Amino acid sequence: MTVELFGLARALAGKAVVEIALDEPTDIGAFILALVSAYPEFDGSIIDGARAAFIEPNLLLLDGRRAPVAGETFGSADKPCVVFLASGG
Amino acid sequence: MSDSYVGPRTVLTVDLSTKSSHRFDLDDATFTRVLGGVGLAVELIYDYLVRNDLFAIDPLGPENPLVFAAGPFSSTPVPAANKHAIATISPLTGLLNEGLSSSHWSAVLRRCGLAALIVTGVADRWTLLVVEGDRVRFEEADSLLGYSAREVTKLVRDRLVDRTARVCSIGRAGEDGVRYASVENDGRQAGRGGTGAVFGAKRLKAIALRGRGDVALANPAATAELAAALRERAIGPATAKYRVLGTGANMRVLERMGQLPTRNFTGATFAGVERVTPEYAREHRGDYLELRAGCAGCPVQCEHMYVRKDRDRRSAGASEYESVWAFGPNCGIDSLDAVLDAIALCDREGLDTISTGGSIAFAMECVARGLIDESVFGTPLRFGNADVLVPAIEAIVAGRGFGATLALGVRAAAAAVGGNSATFAMHVKGLELPGYEPRALPTYALGLATCTRGACHNRAATYDTDLRNPGGAMDDGERAAAAIAAEDYAIVWDSLVLCKFVRDCFSDFYRDAAALWTAVTGSSLDADALRASAVHIWHRKRAINARIGWTPADDRLPARLTQEPIADGVLVGLHIDDTALELLQALYEKQREQQLVG
Repeated sequence: MTVELFGLARALAGKAVVEIALDEPTDIGAFILALVSAYPEFDGSIIDGARAAFIEPNLLLLDGRRAPVAGETFGSADKPCVVFLASGG
Repeated sequence: MSDSYVGPRTVLTVDLSTKSSHRFDLDDATFTRVLGGVGLAVELIYDYLVRNDLFAIDPLGPENPLVFAAGPFSSTPVPAANKHAIATISPLTGLLNEGLSSSHWSAVLRRCGLAALIVTGVADRWTLLVVEGDRVRFEEADSLLGYSAREVTKLVRDRLVDRTARVCSIGRAGEDGVRYASVENDGRQAGRGGTGAVFGAKRLKAIALRGRGDVALANPAATAELAAALRERAIGPATAKYRVLGTGANMRVLERMGQLPTRNFTGATFAGVERVTPEYAREHRGDYLELRAGCAGCPVQCEHMYVRKDRDRRSAGASEYESVWAFGPNCGIDSLDAVLDAIALCDREGLDTISTGGSIAFAMECVARGLIDESVFGTPLRFGNADVLVPAIEAIVAGRGFGATLALGVRAAAAAVGGNSATFAMHVKGLELPGYEPRALPTYALGLATCTRGACHNRAATYDTDLRNPGGAMDDGERAAAAIAAEDYAIVWDSLVLCKFVRDCFSDFYRDAAALWTAVTGSSLDADALRASAVHIWHRKRAINARIGWTPADDRLPARLTQEPIADGVLVGLHIDDTALELLQALYEKQREQQLVG
């Protein structure tokens, strides 16, 4: 699956777009586990691996527009983006 | 533990016209009602206006007060809390303006035994105000004119033979009356609303503080424990985005979300966005040197500055989101070097970067529409022309040519330019818009319209509500309530004063903040009392504005936001329905009135 990374996630991964091994479509739980498996450095900073959840202020948006709802499945065509809540400045 | 407030409670008032000063003490009830920082500054302005029977007030006249109010956690072990508020009547909006600044000056204000400092009058010559514990001195400042705040700090320390003196100062922009001139201390700025121009009108170049008094804690053990826990969380994942890249990283996220205002809000995406991000600078480490800075006592150290390695490191520009946005995407400029140079120049001259960039973007659109000549600053004043930033800023500071018009802000500039320019003058109540897209953020749009300060993202703080719930539905009553909750939440942060960058470090903010307050000050407050303080402070802000001329008609967004949909990006077509916004504002007002009944 193709995933766009922003901010800290991009800084840790060293690139803005990554490919992770994952059957499509997938749900948010499987997505998080695959992401942290591919990038263990995300654990504790972007992702809480034990809870298979994003750590605030990080989150997943589809095509930069909306967060997936509970139970929703998605794939590369939905353009998953790992972003953070913009603030301040 | 008694319920009495522990900590400096003295207010020092200084009249520059008569070179006189006096002091009075605040009672316990005042602190529990308004906390400190913004709350205290607002309360003191309100009392001053009422006591002196003042209504319409000339922001550049002698009667306009400059109020500095310390955060009650300043100069204590609480991290991210060395902050103070500066409130005055803004020469840009004609309404209340409350800004925040940080670091050592904030701490030393309390070490001088002060909860607040009020400056009124106009000096007969340029003045350096020196507060040394119990003493106040008025020194000539003619020799400080033309210098930046950073240079003034060095000169004042040399003069006082005291390397520890803390100085806040204006630059040339404040001296010359630019309506959005800033005030700087310790490299931190109270940027918005033209407080620097109020300094200048008073012929007040700088205020030096020398104080070494102890600041008492009601419960040192509990304070230490709570402060240590907050410090630990403040170096964790909740603040990593500020520590690793800083707020400049907002740029790519907002652009991807179709929410990056571009070219004076004519677009929401920017092809050159990548080249003005901190990611770009970090991924070109061979070219750029990164410097880090932050406020005293803060473990986050959020400020990331960059400069090309072949240049003097003292010319580094801060890669703060709002500043980079204002000169980058909002002016259509994708040169990181040019943007950083513009930011560094604004800091040197003492200018608010948001209003400066917004004014230049407005002028660029005037050129694009044939309303002014493109050669007003020499090099063509066109979106995307990086070469025009420095000459435009220099002309604004010097009041030269069209720069004198832009120095008044976009509202006044539109009145001078004429044509249809008022429809694309991006301001609320005269304050230029920051870099969040109101058409994509409905709660933020409401907060921006109603914000007592004008278009301030930090006082309204309502964008956070929308960003946490992207695409989420909310009925009007819920949205009005959400906007009020966000504003009141921000008021508590701004009055305690804690940096909002640690807001994700609290699991239950009101409960935990009340515990901190009680440990530090000894005055018992619970979460509900903090919420009540926020309500009181918001209504005080509104009362000040109503007293000096605000009317509901001022709570309007720029015409562009209600007449033109978002032109590009993933949210293309989104717009604000003017009628729907009016209904929402009516609900907001009703809920605010109900707070008073409650």
